[in-house]
Amino acid sequence: MPQNEAAQAQQTPPPGAPGPAGRPGGMMRGPGSGGMGRGKPVKPKNFRRTMGRLWRYFGRERKLLSLIMVFIIIDAGVTLIGPFLIGKSIDAMSANHGRVAFGLLQSFIIVLATAYITDVVLVFLQGWLMAGVSQRIVAGLRRSLFQKLQKLPVSYFDARSHGEVMSRLTNDIDNVSQTVSQSTTQLMAGGIAIIGSLVMMIVLSPILTLASLITVPILYLLTRTVTRKTSVLFKEQQVQLGMLNGHIEETISGMEVVKAFNHEHQAINEFEAVNGRLFEVGLKAQIRSGFMMPLMNVINNIGFAAVALVGGILAVKSLITVGVIASFLSYSRQFVRPLNDLANIYNLLQSGVAGAERVFEVLDEREEPDDLPDAVRLDRTKGHVVFEDVSFGYRPEVPILKRVSFESKPGTSTALVGPTGAGKTTIVNLLTRFYDVTGGSIRIDGVDIRHYTRDSLRRMFGIVLQDTYLFSGTIKENIKYGKPDATDEEIREAAVMANADVFIRRLPDGYETELSENGGNLSQGQRQLLAITRVILAKPSILILDEATSSIDTRTELHIQDALLQIMKDRTTFIIAHRLNTIRDADNIMVIDHGEIVEQGNHDELIGRQGFYARMFESQFKNLESAGE
Amino acid sequence: MSFFNKYVKKYWKLFCVAVLFLAVESLCDLLQPTMMSKVIDVGVAQSRMDQVLHYGGLMLLITAVGAVSASTRNIISSHVSQRFGAEMRSDLFRKIQSLSFEDMDKFDRASLITRLTNDVTQVQNFVNGMMRFFVKAPLLCVGSLIMAIRLDVHLSLVLAVVVPIVAVLIVLNMKIGFPFFIRVQRALDKVNGVMREYLSGVRVVKAFNRFDYEVEKFESANTELSSRSVLSMRVMSVFGPGISLFLNFGIIAVLWIGGIRVDNGQMQVGSIIAFINYMTQMLFSLMMISNVFNMFVRAKASAGRIGEVFAEGSGLDDGGKSAAKRDSQRGRIDFEHVSFSYAGTQGDPVIRDFTLTCLPGETVGIIGSTGSGKSTLVSLIPRFYDAGEGRVKVAGTDVRDMDPHALREMIAVVPQKIMLFTGTVEDNLKWGKEDASRDEMEEACRIAEAHDFIMASPEGYASRIGQGGVNFSGGQKQRLSIARALVKKPEILILDDCTSAVDVATEARIKEALRTYASELTCILIAQRITSVMDADRIVVMDRGEMVGTGTHEELMETCRVYQEIYQSQMGKEMHPHAAE
Repeated sequence: MPQNEAAQAQQTPPPGAPGPAGRPGGMMRGPGSGGMGRGKPVKPKNFRRTMGRLWRYFGRERKLLSLIMVFIIIDAGVTLIGPFLIGKSIDAMSANHGRVAFGLLQSFIIVLATAYITDVVLVFLQGWLMAGVSQRIVAGLRRSLFQKLQKLPVSYFDARSHGEVMSRLTNDIDNVSQTVSQSTTQLMAGGIAIIGSLVMMIVLSPILTLASLITVPILYLLTRTVTRKTSVLFKEQQVQLGMLNGHIEETISGMEVVKAFNHEHQAINEFEAVNGRLFEVGLKAQIRSGFMMPLMNVINNIGFAAVALVGGILAVKSLITVGVIASFLSYSRQFVRPLNDLANIYNLLQSGVAGAERVFEVLDEREEPDDLPDAVRLDRTKGHVVFEDVSFGYRPEVPILKRVSFESKPGTSTALVGPTGAGKTTIVNLLTRFYDVTGGSIRIDGVDIRHYTRDSLRRMFGIVLQDTYLFSGTIKENIKYGKPDATDEEIREAAVMANADVFIRRLPDGYETELSENGGNLSQGQRQLLAITRVILAKPSILILDEATSSIDTRTELHIQDALLQIMKDRTTFIIAHRLNTIRDADNIMVIDHGEIVEQGNHDELIGRQGFYARMFESQFKNLESAGE
Repeated sequence: MSFFNKYVKKYWKLFCVAVLFLAVESLCDLLQPTMMSKVIDVGVAQSRMDQVLHYGGLMLLITAVGAVSASTRNIISSHVSQRFGAEMRSDLFRKIQSLSFEDMDKFDRASLITRLTNDVTQVQNFVNGMMRFFVKAPLLCVGSLIMAIRLDVHLSLVLAVVVPIVAVLIVLNMKIGFPFFIRVQRALDKVNGVMREYLSGVRVVKAFNRFDYEVEKFESANTELSSRSVLSMRVMSVFGPGISLFLNFGIIAVLWIGGIRVDNGQMQVGSIIAFINYMTQMLFSLMMISNVFNMFVRAKASAGRIGEVFAEGSGLDDGGKSAAKRDSQRGRIDFEHVSFSYAGTQGDPVIRDFTLTCLPGETVGIIGSTGSGKSTLVSLIPRFYDAGEGRVKVAGTDVRDMDPHALREMIAVVPQKIMLFTGTVEDNLKWGKEDASRDEMEEACRIAEAHDFIMASPEGYASRIGQGGVNFSGGQKQRLSIARALVKKPEILILDDCTSAVDVATEARIKEALRTYASELTCILIAQRITSVMDADRIVVMDRGEMVGTGTHEELMETCRVYQEIYQSQMGKEMHPHAAE
């Protein structure tokens, strides 16, 4: 009974090998899992601890999971009986030299049938239950992760790319689910199969066992040497693949420049070089790992031949029966096959645990600190804002703001200007408590903002950012975002005030028009108007315009400006702007440079002072002033 | 999929050789159980040691032959599939490089990238698989059937029942399973979508305090996903055990019927063992065939997507008739009644009846609101697109009559979207001129106000720029992008709103320096800010694809209403009341 390649095709491909994905019934993993760029399994940092934590995390599912484990153990036992019974049946046929002992055969067959049916029932139950258990666990993990994201400070998201966070929610959780539903059970079943087969073999015939085990050390050595060699190659292949993908991505998304600079040939040459390297290493990896199968086949068959030979000799000497040989052949296959699989499964398990580790890492991330125990809700505010000696740095060693002090009286507008990186946006981040000050204090209506609950504090603000973010959904849903219980009438009013009503009504479905992700089907200006509508509807006490109009052209800006003036009326407003003309009407202009306020006053005062602001203004308008006059 | 012909022609011989070895390999596998039955029936049953040795040795020999052919096949198939993959990837890359923008626009850029990476790999894997198991599975399946029938025709009746049932189960599994799988995928996409939105809009969520809403939205997507996954996993959990149940009952039937036949002396015990073996082997091959089918569906989709790219013709016909240029015309650009629409779009054309001449040494500013057609207009000059009506002439020659390579040699573009490439600052600058000296680069960088910040970084011109350029700020990257164009020393310089992230003071200095640099060449300057273009020799005002005014700043202030509006919007109303209506 040679272990043929058909059987091996059922195994998972070597880690990192771009082999065919999926095995029978492996549809769940689906396309994409076998794609490019799957690296070597990452080793978890602390396997045991993470496993333990995962186990605790399973919570209520632990009972069901234990039940499944019991099923697996019983099933493994039942499966082990199969070859034994087949052997016995064969004996029943051959013991009497041509006369079959039908009574015996019948009872064996009945037991065999029972075993098979039990096996089917157990496997089915196991699959059925596991589907529920593993999905509930994974859904729960996904839920906790998402809820955790709600509690993380903005700094967490600033420091990481979206792709990185996404991959934890998708890939890593996928890996965990794989571990729960497949790797652990396979590992268990495999382990039982190995031990059980070995025991059965020894019981049947110790001498024959010895003969069939001859190949195990050879097999072990072979697998080790080959995988050690190929794993280096596969790693190298991943590196080259990564480089190739990088190059492809860059040239294709930068096609305009490639063409404009007549750089097609260089791009192709570079591509050829990387592609060539990938070919070299890919070829080597594939050939080396491809030798595995035929070699194993040979060794396995040597094992079979050894069993047949020794078994034959023993049978001739009547030390064992033919049936024993038949059972033995099955057992030795059941013994060797999982042995090969186990290494792969173990790798999968490891990457699953590593995934769990990364998920737990997020769950352990420091949250936005809780509100102070004596924090009060801020329900109404006059909008009196005071900064007193405020210092802040995103990293302690790099101070962004240095002892900044100023006051904004209720209903006034304050503009923040200065070069990029001077700390303008930081002031807004502190005000809304996306970050907390590292020195000094910020007070609203005379109370340190840290003494308000964070939620109620943020409700006071309406922020219009340069990149307005719209969510997929209808226009109405987007406008209602800040005030879910708004009536249609209120929505209309807000839109009219923001000059958005006109364009919304011109859209095919008006307020019910579906937006694609981030409002891709609207123009920049329209998106900005929607964002402003959203803020108007929320009726904030303090308004923050963070480069609200800098990404739209100035004629469109004119329309928006009117809308903005509407909502700025009688509200404390902070304006951050690049274009100086948008802020000349502000009550107070603060010029910030290197984290300090270098000048403040209104437009005319600052121009009169002939300082930093005047210079900035002049350079922006120099040509125009002379031409205009 | 005609693009395959090339590779078929090249590799079919080697492919056939590989398949031949594969056939030998399968044959060897097929012979094993028969040999085994001989060991038992001839050797053991009759207590003949020499026969045991004889057939045991034969078995090893067959294994050796099988291993040798498998190894040979492995070498051949690895060569064929890797070579084929590399070649196809390279051909596809070249093809994409040669596509005009008009053709390229038919595809999403991201999708072009996946076609080059994932799709090529899918097809390559399939080709490799064909030489590994795909051909082997049917061979084994049919071979096992024949061998089993040869062993005992009566017992084959069991096969006649079991094999079709198992085959039907496998087909059903695929048929029923696939739609479930698709639905799981969709639910997964939705979960990812909610997630991505949250990450991009995290500040908005926090600012409006809408955590509950977001969690709710996520929860409904999450529940949907998990219930669909459970359902699809459960459907699958019926088939696996079902298949093995029928197989196992087949084995029982074989044992029973076999028992009767052995009793009648019509069959020997060893044959029964062999028969059971062939049966399991058949099952394995059937499962493999179902896998092959899955992979085939995927590979076929990928091949189709690759084929689409290959099928694109080069929309621009590279005339290559590069007419001799007259020196007096160097750098001259003429737009003659040019109209243009992007392929596949409906409605108003992007450019309508546009006529303009730019002379060498002249700086022409183009201003207009977003979407007025400014960038499209200049993309006609290096022939990224061809005018629908009218003509675009460079140096007096219609661009369609020029070799695009030679044409683009004369032009340097600073695009609106910053595109720097992985490598050092110097590597990037040399895009403009391969053999640029350090002095030339420094000069360009000084003009673009990039020299100082380059020198401020520890490695200077050898500083590495990551993919997409991560370690410089937006404004700095824009300045590098300008410097790259300046190194080229073109006859025509096109600056497409490329100082939007540069602060005003720096921009003023760059423009000052450019004035000297550009005194000999034609310079087209697209901008949003009126201050950026107002001192140009001539300003063109565009609105909805049309030229609505041209002249100097002063002239336009008098005559052009759109220009006045732009001016007011940027300067504030109160400053120049006379300009307002």
